Parts: sequence; C-alpha cells; structure tokens
Amino acid sequence: MTDVLPGRRARRDPEVTQLLPRPLRTLVIAVLLAVVGAPMLYMVLASVNSDLAVARGAVLPTGLHLDNYVRIWSTVSLDRGLVNSVAVAGTVAVVCALVAVCSAYVLVLHGFRGRLAILRGLLALQTIPGTLVLLPVFVLFASASTALGIQVIGTRWALFVTYLTFSLPFSTWVMVTYLRGLPRELDEAARIDGASSWRILTRIITPLSWPGLVVSAIFAFLLGWNDVLFASVLTNPDTRTAAVALQVFGATQEGGAIPVYGQLMAAALVCALPVVVVYLVFQRYLVSGLAAGGVK
Amino acid sequence: MQRQRPLWMLVPGGVLAALLIVVPLAVAVQISLLDLDQYSFRQWLGAPFVGVRNYHEALTRSPLAHSILVSTGYAATVTVVTLPLGVAAALATHNRFAGRAVVRSAFLIPFVLPSFVVGTLWRIILQPAGVANRVLDPLGVPTGLWLNGPRSFWALVIVQAWAAWPLVYLLTLAGLQTLDRDLHEAAALDGAGWWAKLRYVIFPCLRGPVSLAMLISFLHDINNFALPFVLFGVPSPHDVEVLPVLTYIESFQNFRFGLSAAMAVLSVALIAVPIAVYLRAVKLDVGEEARTT
Repeated sequence: MTDVLPGRRARRDPEVTQLLPRPLRTLVIAVLLAVVGAPMLYMVLASVNSDLAVARGAVLPTGLHLDNYVRIWSTVSLDRGLVNSVAVAGTVAVVCALVAVCSAYVLVLHGFRGRLAILRGLLALQTIPGTLVLLPVFVLFASASTALGIQVIGTRWALFVTYLTFSLPFSTWVMVTYLRGLPRELDEAARIDGASSWRILTRIITPLSWPGLVVSAIFAFLLGWNDVLFASVLTNPDTRTAAVALQVFGATQEGGAIPVYGQLMAAALVCALPVVVVYLVFQRYLVSGLAAGGVK
Repeated sequence: MQRQRPLWMLVPGGVLAALLIVVPLAVAVQISLLDLDQYSFRQWLGAPFVGVRNYHEALTRSPLAHSILVSTGYAATVTVVTLPLGVAAALATHNRFAGRAVVRSAFLIPFVLPSFVVGTLWRIILQPAGVANRVLDPLGVPTGLWLNGPRSFWALVIVQAWAAWPLVYLLTLAGLQTLDRDLHEAAALDGAGWWAKLRYVIFPCLRGPVSLAMLISFLHDINNFALPFVLFGVPSPHDVEVLPVLTYIESFQNFRFGLSAAMAVLSVALIAVPIAVYLRAVKLDVGEEARTT
C-alpha cells in the first residue's frame, strides 16, 4: 500500500497539480469536517450534560456535569473494564510484536521452500471473519476445560490467546514489509563474524526495527481494545473488557426509569480517547496500515 | 555459503495459527454437520451426525436468505454512498494548503474510533427522543423510530457510512499520489479545465485504486459485527439482521450451534469471491528475495 504522507510531492509550481478550484475545495472540506465533527462534538457536549437532558435530545448542556466522569467508574464498572482491556490488549501487543519479528526475520532474510506460501497465507488469514471461528474457538475452549480440568472461558487467558492469534498475521505482515527495508548485508556480515541467528535477531535486527515493532504492537493492541465479538462470549462480569462493559451498560439503558445517557457518553469518550491519542501521535506510521487492516 | 536457517523461530506463530485458526476452521465445518446444542456441546464430538441437514435448514427454513439480502444490500449501499465522499475528500486534500495536515488527520478519526464507541454514540443520537429527531424535525424530516422498524436499515447505512468513508478516502489519496506529475503538466498544456482534467485524465487513472477501495470497503462493511450489535442490540430488528449478528444469535441466544456453524460456512462462501479478488489484487511484493527460494 502506498504511503499517504504529507510533504512527498514535488514542490515546483504547485498550481499544475491543482485538482479542484479553491472555492470548491474549501466547500468540500468544510462540509466533510462538519459531517465528521458534528457527532463527535455532540459526544463531548453530551458527556458533560445531565442524563435527563441527553435523553430529551438537548444539544447544549444544561450545566457542566463533570460528575458524569466520576460516576461512570461505578455505574458502568468502567474501572474494571479498562484494567482488563489494558492488561489483555497490552500483553497481546508486546508478545505479538516479539513473535512477529521472529517470524518476519526468518521469512525475509532466509530463503526456504514454502516461504511464499506462508506469505500468501498471512494475507489470507487476515480475511477470515471472526464470526466463523468464534463458535469453534468457544467449543474448543469449553472442551479443554472438560478434558484437562482447566477453566479457560471467562479468564483473561482465553482473550489473550485469541487476540494474539488474530493479530499475528497482520503484525507479521507489517514486520515483513519493514524488515525488507533493512540491508541484507547486516545479516550476512554478522553471520560471517560467527553470530548465531538468535543473536543477530536480538542484537541487530530488533534494535533497528523499532518503528515496525511499534506499529505491529499498536495494531495488535487495537485489535484487542476494539473487539466486542470474542470478548462478549469469552468473558464473565469480572474479566469483561471496557468494550463489553460499555456495550452491556448501553443495552440495559432502555426500559429503565431514566437512562443515564450522559454517563454513557462520558464512558464512550473515555474508551475512545486512548485510541485517538495513539492514532494522532503515531499517525505517520499507522496510516498505510489502516487501509490494509480494513478488510475484516 | 551454506546458510543457517532458524526455522524454529516460525514455531510460536505457526502453532498459534494452527491451533486457533486452522483447527477451528475444520471444527466449524465439522460442527455444521452435527446436531449440537447447549446440552451436548461439552462432549461435542459425540453429538449426532446429521449430514447436510443444517445446511438444508439454513437455506430453506431460516432467516439466512433474508440476512444475506440485508447484508449485501447494506454493504453495497454503504460502498456506493462512501465512494463520492471519499473521492471528493481525496481530491480536496491532495494539494498543499495551510492546515492540510490537520484536515487529513481529522478526516480519519471516524474510521479510527472503535466500532463499539461509534455504535454507542449513534445509539444515543438516534434514540426516539434523541438529538437526531430533535434536529431533523424543524427541517421537515418526519420524526420516527430509527433503531427499530424499516428506518433501522437506513440508520445502519448512515452510521456505517459515517464511520467507513475515510477508508475510501485513504485508498483514493494513495492512488492520487502515485500519479505522475507529467500527467498534470500534459493536462495543463492542453488547456483542460478542472472538470475536464478530472473526467478525462485523473478518474481513468484512479480506476484501479478506487475499485480496490470499493472491494475492501464492501468486505469491511459485510464483516462488521460490532457496529450493528452495539447500535441495535440483540435480538436485532428484522430489517438489520445482518449475517454476523444472525450467526451470533443462532449460537449464543438460541444455542443451535450446528445450524449456526452451517450459516457461518455459507456466509463465508458468499464473500469468498470478493476475498479471492482482493487477495489477487494485493501485490505480494516479494521482490528480490523471491529468487532465493
């Protein structure tokens, strides 16, 4: 996928590459910013509004209800959800990046039969819909507890193993693309000096490829953070991730006396914030991967 | 030189992929041939073998056909709606101007937001007494239910289009950036106006990237579980009973595991063609080291 990075174009006579007349360009940008911004602005406004006013459809807050941000920790049990999300997605991110760099190192710097098949397989694995494997994974985890006497479903381990597996193909793909950019001579020179493969990987390749590692880790983290499908089946109230905590809380609001929509918006904002911050900080590295990860 | 090949480094990733992707795929097919329910699933291998009966039921006596229509209809509509938005945004942010970096970042935020956040946000916006009806009423749009009944289909289209259009934008922008400067200069020399240049020079060159964008966008929409699940909840309204939600409900609400697995296998068969096209279109880009195999 081609990079979408600013400042790559030729600078001579910018008028030639002009695509839209200036007024039209301004109009398009203004309309799209409004379309994107209005719901997000509403989310911010509603998160500091009273629950009642949000339920009545008020746009502007009746007052500054910052207590929404205090109360969500007990009503939505967001604290436990966030701890679970950070623990699971964070561990997945670290382990996934390390496993991915190992696999990518072998795939890029060592020719062997079946290498191309594995590269193709990495792409194909990314397109498998989660709904197809959810049930068999659930059944396998359930029979593991019957056969081995270990409780798997409901633990963070179940989520960890699942997310790790599903983030590996894409993260490995990212690392493969990254390691291709490193000069092959590095590997050969170190080998002539008698370094073992493990030593080359840990002392030379990994320190040189940290931007790739960060991107791999971030995408693995986001997969775990954003998932609802697996987490809604594989967790119990104690091991729920923030995503499921929010979904369950949102689903139980209708039918109650006063739906606490203000708090729900505050909780949604808290769940979105880390993702948006990570995206804004690392966007130069992430953007090309975003499109590639869009299939699933 | 005889190279050392540390193939053992592939073992951790390979074992995980085999245990949690390849084995489950085989198990999915096997379950689809069993009459498996909540009583038999802990000893699932002993569940009665029923051959293709689940497939038969899925195709003739289940909401599967309806869900296929809803899913493909909604994914196709979203793709068509997001296409002009994405292309317009790419055209507008292609050239430099003050603040372009900020605009580009902002455009991608709906796509970056987790689906469960987007679903929660719009669930509140679209609730019967919510802000959508409050704003639309003075504009002459009759107020009504968005999260239930016939309008729910359009609610799903609007929300997913809002969240997914940056994907088309991103891929189109990438396509625009590969265009040669000579192309622009040739168009300028011929004295083409902006519309003629777009129509006869730029758009023909974008056919490849935009087709790929539409394909990816279609797969992205049709596979999305979290958004409809969070936006409408389960049981989901009839008009938005998309395939991922249907197979989920059949498993984890109705406990008809065999039937659900058959549905899942059939829905993958449905998207197998676009997936195959996608896999062929994405270049493996193996370059130099391919020769060493």
